[in-house]
Amino acid sequence: MCKANCFRGLYLTVLNIILFISPSIFSYAAEADTVTTTDNQDSLTHIINNQAGTHDDHNDYYQGNTHDEHHGFDLNMKKAERIFYGLYQQEGNTQSCASCHNTFAIDTFNWNPSALDIAKLYVNKTEDDLAGTLLNPTGKVTSKAHANYNFSEEQIQLLKGFLDKYSAEHESLPSKPNITQTLIFIGITLLFLLALVDLLFTKKVRLRALHLIIILFCLVYNTRVVVEEAIALGRQENYQPEQPIKFSHEIHVQQNNIDCRYCHSTVDFSKSASIPPANTCLNCHTLIREGSHSGAFEINKIHEAVESGQPIEWVKVHNLPDHVYFNHAQHVGAGNLDCADCHGVVEEMHEVRQVSDLSMGWCLDCHRTNEIQFTSNKYYAEFEKLHEDLKAGKIDKVTPEMVGATDCMKCHY
Amino acid sequence: MEKQYYRSLDELKVDREKVNEKPVKEFEAEKDVLLDLMEENNFNTSSSRRDFLKVFGFSIASAAVLASCEQPVRKAIPYLNRPEEITPGKANYYASTYFDGNDYCSVLVKVRDGRPIKIEGNTLSSVTKGGTNARTQASVLSLYDNARYKAPAIKGEETTWKNIDQDIQNQLNQLTQNKEKIVLLTPTIISPSTKAVIEQFQQKYPTTQHIQYDAVSASGILDANKKTFGQAFIPSYHFEKAATIVSFGADFLGSWLSPVEYTKQYVQMRKLDEGEQKMSHHIHVEAGMSLTGSNADKRIIVKNSRQKAVIANVYNHLLALSGQSTFNAPETSVDTKAIAEELYKNRGKSLVVSGSNDTDAQMMVNGINQLLGNFGKTIDTSVHLKIKQGIDQEMESLVQEMNEGTVGGVIMWNVNPVYDYPGTDAFSSALKNTKLRVSLAESKNETAEETEYICPVNHYLESWNDAEIKTGHYSLGQPAIRPIFSTRQGQESLLRWTGSNTEYHEYLKNYWTGNLFPASGYLSADKFWTDKLHDGIYETDQSETNINGFSSNAIVNAVSQLKNESTKNIELELYQNVSVGNGTHANNPWLQELPDPVTKICWDNYAAISPKLAEEMGIEDNDLIRIDQKPIPAVIQPGQEYKTISVALGYGRQKAGTVGEKVGVNAYIFSRFADGQRLTWSTVKEVNKAGEKYPLARTQTHHSMEGRAIVREATLKEYQKNPAAGNELHEKIESHHKTLYDKHEFPGHHWGMAIDLNSCTGCNACVVGCSSENNVPVVGKKQVLMAREMHWIRIDRYYQGDQENPSVVRQPVMCQHCDNAPCENVCPVAATTHSNEGINQMAYNRCIGTRYCNNNCPYKVRRFNFYDYTGADALPGNIVDPAEMTLDLKRMVLNPDVTIRAKGVIEKCSFCVQRIQEKKLDAKLENRQLGDGEIKPACAQACPADAIVFGDLNDENSKVSKIFKDQRSYHLLEELHTLPSVGYLTKIRNKEEA
Repeated sequence: MCKANCFRGLYLTVLNIILFISPSIFSYAAEADTVTTTDNQDSLTHIINNQAGTHDDHNDYYQGNTHDEHHGFDLNMKKAERIFYGLYQQEGNTQSCASCHNTFAIDTFNWNPSALDIAKLYVNKTEDDLAGTLLNPTGKVTSKAHANYNFSEEQIQLLKGFLDKYSAEHESLPSKPNITQTLIFIGITLLFLLALVDLLFTKKVRLRALHLIIILFCLVYNTRVVVEEAIALGRQENYQPEQPIKFSHEIHVQQNNIDCRYCHSTVDFSKSASIPPANTCLNCHTLIREGSHSGAFEINKIHEAVESGQPIEWVKVHNLPDHVYFNHAQHVGAGNLDCADCHGVVEEMHEVRQVSDLSMGWCLDCHRTNEIQFTSNKYYAEFEKLHEDLKAGKIDKVTPEMVGATDCMKCHY
Repeated sequence: MEKQYYRSLDELKVDREKVNEKPVKEFEAEKDVLLDLMEENNFNTSSSRRDFLKVFGFSIASAAVLASCEQPVRKAIPYLNRPEEITPGKANYYASTYFDGNDYCSVLVKVRDGRPIKIEGNTLSSVTKGGTNARTQASVLSLYDNARYKAPAIKGEETTWKNIDQDIQNQLNQLTQNKEKIVLLTPTIISPSTKAVIEQFQQKYPTTQHIQYDAVSASGILDANKKTFGQAFIPSYHFEKAATIVSFGADFLGSWLSPVEYTKQYVQMRKLDEGEQKMSHHIHVEAGMSLTGSNADKRIIVKNSRQKAVIANVYNHLLALSGQSTFNAPETSVDTKAIAEELYKNRGKSLVVSGSNDTDAQMMVNGINQLLGNFGKTIDTSVHLKIKQGIDQEMESLVQEMNEGTVGGVIMWNVNPVYDYPGTDAFSSALKNTKLRVSLAESKNETAEETEYICPVNHYLESWNDAEIKTGHYSLGQPAIRPIFSTRQGQESLLRWTGSNTEYHEYLKNYWTGNLFPASGYLSADKFWTDKLHDGIYETDQSETNINGFSSNAIVNAVSQLKNESTKNIELELYQNVSVGNGTHANNPWLQELPDPVTKICWDNYAAISPKLAEEMGIEDNDLIRIDQKPIPAVIQPGQEYKTISVALGYGRQKAGTVGEKVGVNAYIFSRFADGQRLTWSTVKEVNKAGEKYPLARTQTHHSMEGRAIVREATLKEYQKNPAAGNELHEKIESHHKTLYDKHEFPGHHWGMAIDLNSCTGCNACVVGCSSENNVPVVGKKQVLMAREMHWIRIDRYYQGDQENPSVVRQPVMCQHCDNAPCENVCPVAATTHSNEGINQMAYNRCIGTRYCNNNCPYKVRRFNFYDYTGADALPGNIVDPAEMTLDLKRMVLNPDVTIRAKGVIEKCSFCVQRIQEKKLDAKLENRQLGDGEIKPACAQACPADAIVFGDLNDENSKVSKIFKDQRSYHLLEELHTLPSVGYLTKIRNKEEA
């Protein structure tokens, strides 16, 4: 009886280990394309929905077309697709639509609206509207790019049809999955199993040392991967999500010399630095209606938001767990830290990326080494002994730690 | 000499060793319920190792599944156009007024990112002076109550405001044309502008009668004053000016008229700060043990039917003392002569009050106060208290008229007579004889459910309002959030029905600038309005002029008819407790889980019976008894009058929402109408044992502090001789404090808290304030029965002396933040450590739930999350949610600055570290030192008695440092060398014998 229990225990432990390892593989796959996290989830739901044979709104397109209509429609669609991808020859030196308006999520930053952005914009508009923008654009950037376009009415109709279909088909842009690291992990695991099986049962390779070396290597490598992944679980260093508006800090801060505090105005006195409300944008953008890179397309989104009353849903880049209390005012207002100390050189980023890993160790490093405004801020007059030590030269600076900034309940409550 | 304290009667009966086994241990039931996650409601299975492995495997597997989930994409959604006064991440405070027809409080509403999350007292008000009570503190949760009516409805069908307005207007017009009576039934209205709205309504529909109906009324006082002063009013009482207070059943610290105001006043005469030698003498005459009675210096036990005779005798003796002719007073066994003599000695600085609704009793009390010259001194008849203006007779007539069919329509606004009118369905059946039944109700209640038209009204935090609590003491209420649901203020509904399109906000502003501004001395009406809105209050020295002189004719008439109405029968006394009160807020889980300050029972009402009667009838605690066939659990209450049974009102709601429904029994059915008033006591025909047990959730017996000098007390005389009286141990123990170890260093601050046991009345406001500030979960009755309540602060109550009439001491206990903390050095993962500011820190995310700390804490203040009560966990199976606290709607009340704790971690008082950090940061940003008294933890903020003082012990001049040096100061279980940062001041009683 006791033995049976022991075996069961062993089995469960193995099961647990397997279960413990497996998520890291998943997370590995997911981490590689964090930029498009939502995209994956959505396409995943599509697949699941299709498999389950459900009939929700998303699937109407797939199941809605009858066979009779299918043929003619398809032919036109093919034509439209060729136009969009530039496979249909045009007079003059023209760029294809897809060369600016990407049809899948890309790693590099693209100033132009994606095909999906455009498709969604024109769903409820007429073909004339589309023709207007295509052939006689008002903005400088677009005029330049569309300069030699010469589409016929029929072609524009086809393009409109293509865009409508595109917007119906896609919730978000399809992404190119990056699974190299996952494959390596799986490969190494297989290699490990192979070596183990050969060592114990098949015994094809005579050289036993080879088995052991392979097993050891695989074990070390995969353990390292698991441990690293486990530590990084929930951390988002280098997280650079796509934002609803292609807002560039480089243009605003670097080129136009706008101070961080112009927009993040509460950073000095509030917990939150705050994402600026749309009316802060409008201070300038009521006049500046067109950007040098993206034309009017991105800036228009602000105006649309204000007019429709739908706030802009920015994707939060820097996320702390719920059990951590962080206050910007403490660090910037009282501690005189520079924004860049934590956020990196945001002024060089078109799309904001998380530079620090925001781990507890990273916080504590500063709390142990930085110097606080000890002598200049009257609040610290309370710390008499430290003042004496500082005067007597026993210490050369006062770190946050000396006034208690490494205590648990300074950040966790 | 050490006095013997006991926490419950079992302790007296059973010998000590047995008692030590008796209390429910917090973790006892645990082995049975380890698996209730998988086997719901199957507490009988004992768990084996295999089960453990199952759970282990399951938890690892679920952790794995969870870990494989991706990081969610979080959105940051800014305003489109951020309002000027809003700073994301910073709270705004708006002055407002809490009045629910029963309690009044001038408050500040803390609003964080558009959500009201906390109520604090408004220190500008001269009435409540920054104090609050439990119900005011809890009122913010009612805003997010899921039982609120969310849209107007006709016969249960949701409809639009336009439709319902049209329907009601048509019917009202028709009733007016037919000259049929319309009744507007409300609780007492103290809002001057609302009174104007009602007048406007009456002009439009002239057949309208406005009746103010208070479930627990002060009709007797109104009537008595009408007879003695010529006008029905309630005067202003000044307990702070009274050296002798005699109360005949008036629970003025708990439920009588304006308890927050009276508590503030009362403790002024009880504090012995800075060598003060005098305090008031408080004599309390009552049958059941009330909050006020338990605070009295002398408690005289008299059954309700005999209290009138005691008053008559005191009056008679005073007549004799002042050389006036006496009358034949009924006999009484109470030494009324001594009371009368003491009162007479303190003429002009004494105060006699009565909680009775009997006109004659109240008239004699007036006579007593008149003889003592208290009018104009401790009682101000020129400033009236405007609450409780309901005349019981009007309601009686209404029910009669409804039964006769002469009432055409009833509009019921914030009243619930179907529930709280005497008798089982007296009002309900009368209501059926009316043609139009409209209910202006906030949340689900018995009355609204019986009306065709439900017009949901806003919560007070969504409403504009004003109030005149006392003559010339105005306050304003402003919304702190837009209406969450499709609701509309009652005033606005009335305005619409009169055909007016004015918004009530405009109406109110016009009323203030039109009526109050001219006399204000302000030059600009706008400035007047914004200033007053900012302050929340507007106080003038207006006074009532048309008060006649005192006339004793009516009293002479009354005393001549006094009879010796003693009965041998058991009497039933109905009272309001400090939590649920009159039952309006029964659906508020914070209030339901609040232990009664006397019995420490929550989630139920019960019949408190005297030990002697219990012994005679063979009743034990938790026995179900039947009072006139109505089953109710019994609790043996020391100090209860021999043949009086006390039952709390406000329970037994049938329609109130998930939390409040079917909790306890409805005791209103026992109230009765006699001699022109509604009385809250009656005689009982029969009481018998039902033979069943009914478990009551009691938080008391498992907070054991066995046989040690926990509460130290002395009499005033002893104290006057030696300020350290009762506290001799302190010095002795201090001299023993020697240690080999280094002391903690506190380079900057060293936070400390001092609690004056002499001021604390046990009102429980701190407990709710703490829960609200720190997201303390609600666990429900089942968990409380297993001793798993989560309150970070509790008020321990001990009895001392004769169990027939014991004296009561109370002691608020929270984490003592020991500098030599027993919990810290047993934590295997260093989840609880000491900060350099003297705070015993708790890092929830490091805690693995071994509970060693809990086990090692001598104060039992660490609470363990046996389940996830607030939705903090990712695993839905961990949730135990008896109070819907995991609903998104209710989670809006959570304080975003405090982590919500998941299952399996310990939590405890943090000295409101988030408030400390906030104020420290403010000082840094303003480049200044932190001031003393700037930081107020939620408990200290909520306290109406200013019993809790918080501050920096490193600062020698801080108030808390000074109190720590007071000779009355001691620490809880200081002999253990735990070196707590919380100190207590001894309780001093103003009585002769020790």
